[in-house]
Amino acid sequence: MKWNEVSVHTTNEAVEAVSNILIEMGSGGVAIENIQDFLNLPDDGFGEIKVVNEADVEKGVRVKAYYPETLFLNELLPEIKHRINDLQYVGLSIEPNEIQVNEVEEENWATAWKKYYHPQHITRFLTVAPQWETYEPMIEGEKVIRLDPGLAFGTGTHPTTRLSMQALETYIRENDTILDVGTGSGVLSIASKALGAGEVYAFDLDEVAVRSAKENVKLNVYAQDVHVAANDLLKGISTEADLIVANILAEIILPLIPDAWRLVKTNGYFITSGIIESKKDRVQQALNQQGFEILQILQMKDWFAIVAQKPEED
Amino acid sequence: MAKKVVNVVKLQIPAGKASPAPPVGPALGQAQVNIMGFCKEFNARTADQAGMIIPVVISVYEDRSFTFVTKTPPAAILLKKAAGVETGSGEPNTKKVATVTRDQVREIAETKQQDLNAADVEAAMRMVEGTARSMGFVVED
Repeated sequence: MKWNEVSVHTTNEAVEAVSNILIEMGSGGVAIENIQDFLNLPDDGFGEIKVVNEADVEKGVRVKAYYPETLFLNELLPEIKHRINDLQYVGLSIEPNEIQVNEVEEENWATAWKKYYHPQHITRFLTVAPQWETYEPMIEGEKVIRLDPGLAFGTGTHPTTRLSMQALETYIRENDTILDVGTGSGVLSIASKALGAGEVYAFDLDEVAVRSAKENVKLNVYAQDVHVAANDLLKGISTEADLIVANILAEIILPLIPDAWRLVKTNGYFITSGIIESKKDRVQQALNQQGFEILQILQMKDWFAIVAQKPEED
Repeated sequence: MAKKVVNVVKLQIPAGKASPAPPVGPALGQAQVNIMGFCKEFNARTADQAGMIIPVVISVYEDRSFTFVTKTPPAAILLKKAAGVETGSGEPNTKKVATVTRDQVREIAETKQQDLNAADVEAAMRMVEGTARSMGFVVED
């Protein structure tokens, strides 16, 4: 089956009216490409950075509707054009008002996205594999982390996640108690279990992440006992840990430092990731001020992770 | 988790009924995100609004994970509700099918101002009023 994609190049002002016309003419919804939606994206409170592509700014606003080929486009299109054209008479500016029609082949959209996810060797011993791939460890000691990627950050492909996993592999000792702050997909908690950790506690403020982490934990036999809960950073937590890992953003790591200090045992580690170059010194300084000793700074592309230790008191 | 938003996809789709068919499939397929994951979550969150068209803004991160927020229904739907009619006019210039007051237009504009990317309420009102007229609604003072 084929679909006719009708793409209307219009203005932000006319988006609602154009969308309504396209839906009334039989499209099961519309997709809107509008850089204003990106620029006006409200902060989700979980620490986001926006990367605006300049080319998108120049593209303007496009509303796309889809009609099955069984709907006769020769009759539909003049009517759509006519109604959109008339919008200029009700006080809406519609320029450039270019309407394009593209034929779209029916694809298996439900599964097509999976082709972008493959098993990834993250560290010497850790491999992340999407849930549907049959992947067997290739070397002795290799641990496979099964994930259903999507609804929460941490598919294992991002530098901040990779750096965190490298640090975990170096610093986790058998039976360590771990706190994973801002767990997202749960990937770092699962990795901790794979590396031999004892009790692992995963926290996230975002309910969707909590649910997603719980589901991912279930996919990994050895990680079944990871405790996943909704929590605002480490507020109100009293469990002491050998290692605390936080792959968040510098702005959120800073207020977390006092709680991390309170909960990490003497000689224990605090691993922070998700730090960009311009924020690195500030995080490092704040860690030092709290009393942490910086052991290692890891870098991948433009991201940094810092490994800090709580030293013995003199 | 550390997240860089690299893409934002906005859709207007029926509540509780998202499927991989267009527009969801092509729009999210292009962004390389888990389409079934989105449909499942969207349908669960909007099941109680069945019959409505719901705008949804999906933020896609660098690692292709995503999050989304649903918005209040489109201006056209709110206008139909305010006017108490099911459909707009196919010939809005000649056939008027309903009347809404300027206060109703203002109320909708205030509710939707942020979603409409409007600089102020007046700009939002212009958009809502234009949408109303495009459906064959008369706007009275």
